[in-house]
Amino acid sequence: MRNNLRIYLAGVRTALASRMAYRGDYFLSILIMLLVEMAAPLITILIYGNGASFPGWSMYEALLIQGVFLLGKGIAYPFFFGIVWNTVERVRGGTFDLLMIKPKSALFMAIVTGFDAEDLGKLIGGATLFMLALRRLPPPGVGQWLQFLALFLITLLTLFAYGVTLAGIGIVWIGNIRVYDIFHSLTNFGLYPAAIFSKPVQTVITGIIPIAILGSVPASVLLGRPSPGTWGAVGISLLFLAGSLLFWRAMLKKYTSAGG
Amino acid sequence: MRRRYGVKKRIGHLANVLKATALSTYKEWAAYRNQMAVSVFVGPVFFLTQMFIWRAVYGTRTILNGLTLEEMLTYYGISAVIGYLTYDSADWDLQWLVRTGGFLTFLLRPVSYCFYAFAEKIGHRLLALLVEILPIYVIFFFVFRIKLIPAAPGWALLSLALSFILVFLTNYCIGLSAFWLTRTEGLRRAFLTLRDLSAGMLIPLTFFPEGMQKLLFYLPFQFITYAPIRVFIGHYELAGITLPIPQVVALQFLAVVLMFLLSRLLWYFGIKRFTGVGA
Repeated sequence: MRNNLRIYLAGVRTALASRMAYRGDYFLSILIMLLVEMAAPLITILIYGNGASFPGWSMYEALLIQGVFLLGKGIAYPFFFGIVWNTVERVRGGTFDLLMIKPKSALFMAIVTGFDAEDLGKLIGGATLFMLALRRLPPPGVGQWLQFLALFLITLLTLFAYGVTLAGIGIVWIGNIRVYDIFHSLTNFGLYPAAIFSKPVQTVITGIIPIAILGSVPASVLLGRPSPGTWGAVGISLLFLAGSLLFWRAMLKKYTSAGG
Repeated sequence: MRRRYGVKKRIGHLANVLKATALSTYKEWAAYRNQMAVSVFVGPVFFLTQMFIWRAVYGTRTILNGLTLEEMLTYYGISAVIGYLTYDSADWDLQWLVRTGGFLTFLLRPVSYCFYAFAEKIGHRLLALLVEILPIYVIFFFVFRIKLIPAAPGWALLSLALSFILVFLTNYCIGLSAFWLTRTEGLRRAFLTLRDLSAGMLIPLTFFPEGMQKLLFYLPFQFITYAPIRVFIGHYELAGITLPIPQVVALQFLAVVLMFLLSRLLWYFGIKRFTGVGA
């Protein structure tokens, strides 16, 4: 475990050093990442600013959901979601083999070499929005915080599972970086209160595809009004995680080393 | 007489270059058509989210900022189609060529890089028309029942064509910044975010506060998405200003001319800094 952590930190150091060669562009990119993530909250603010609303949700409650979603993404993208572009690029270029001959698992090495320094901007953006929204809402109790932290851990595991699944797809669907677009379009539902969607959609995003767990479910606990499908969402997320690891193994067996 | 013959010959040459470049780009990207086809899934799914959001918002009202629910969904439907129709990567392509030094080869060719890049865009989008735009249009029209029929087809087509050129020119200007910055990903992302926001791609510009709307009215970005959508719908309004459609298209044409002049100016100063070494 300690050895793995040392290897991971070495990967982080290398990624930061290489990105620092263009410091100006790097810091601008961080700032931009932060701003890009604010698009959805801005729309929410503009909607409420024009006197409209999501029925049953105050502006800061809606922003808290988006804050949780973006905080999760802000942790996932720099620290482990880089496996997606890293795998897609390496498989296309034929350099994925280099990860497979290392004395660690290919998945771990894909995470280590996929640290994305620019995405730290997402983390700053997500954390800022989360804290700003929370400050305008009644403070949650200790119990609520504990429940939230447990659910937020599931959120991160779910994001990891998405990353592993998309990277697995990248092994067989050579060079298709648009797997990110598929991910964004699906998880876009997680940015809004699950209650605004129709019942069938709520069922799908809570109990079939783990999307509500990325924002709505943990945020609702923090707001003291837990979603009815919370346990179902946790169960499906853990199943999804197990499935994604099996999927990765299966895709790894299909790797041809041919590039594309 | 001799001069006129020269002009004719030049136009013929450019037409040949355009045809050859567009065709080769079309064929090259046809190999990656399944990448484009992803939009047939992604576009409608994004739209579905918008549909739920706005249905919830309109749950207690019939009109918001002068738009009914149907008009709002039409707005997002047209916005998506315009986004796919006008998409290009002139900014990324140019900065990559400058960064790697590969741009040098374009200086040896008997055609301007700007024209070549525009011809590439035409070829790329022609393929997109078949693989992503038409299928998405059909899905929006028949599945979501969004009336994607322009109020004045002639003006709408002209406005879309101007938007197509304007997106290219603005992206090309960002690409030209590589002559100064070498690596322009940060600037590129900043620009794309601000462009989408001020073009009305994320939300109609009438949702912004009054002062902001006035500022957006004088920026060229509204002519990328907001103005073409309004031309498509048949009435234009921003910052309390209502304009007839021909005037909107005329202003859009002016924005294209100004952006072209800006691109020439940036090229004039930028090309002097190009060393061909790469980085």
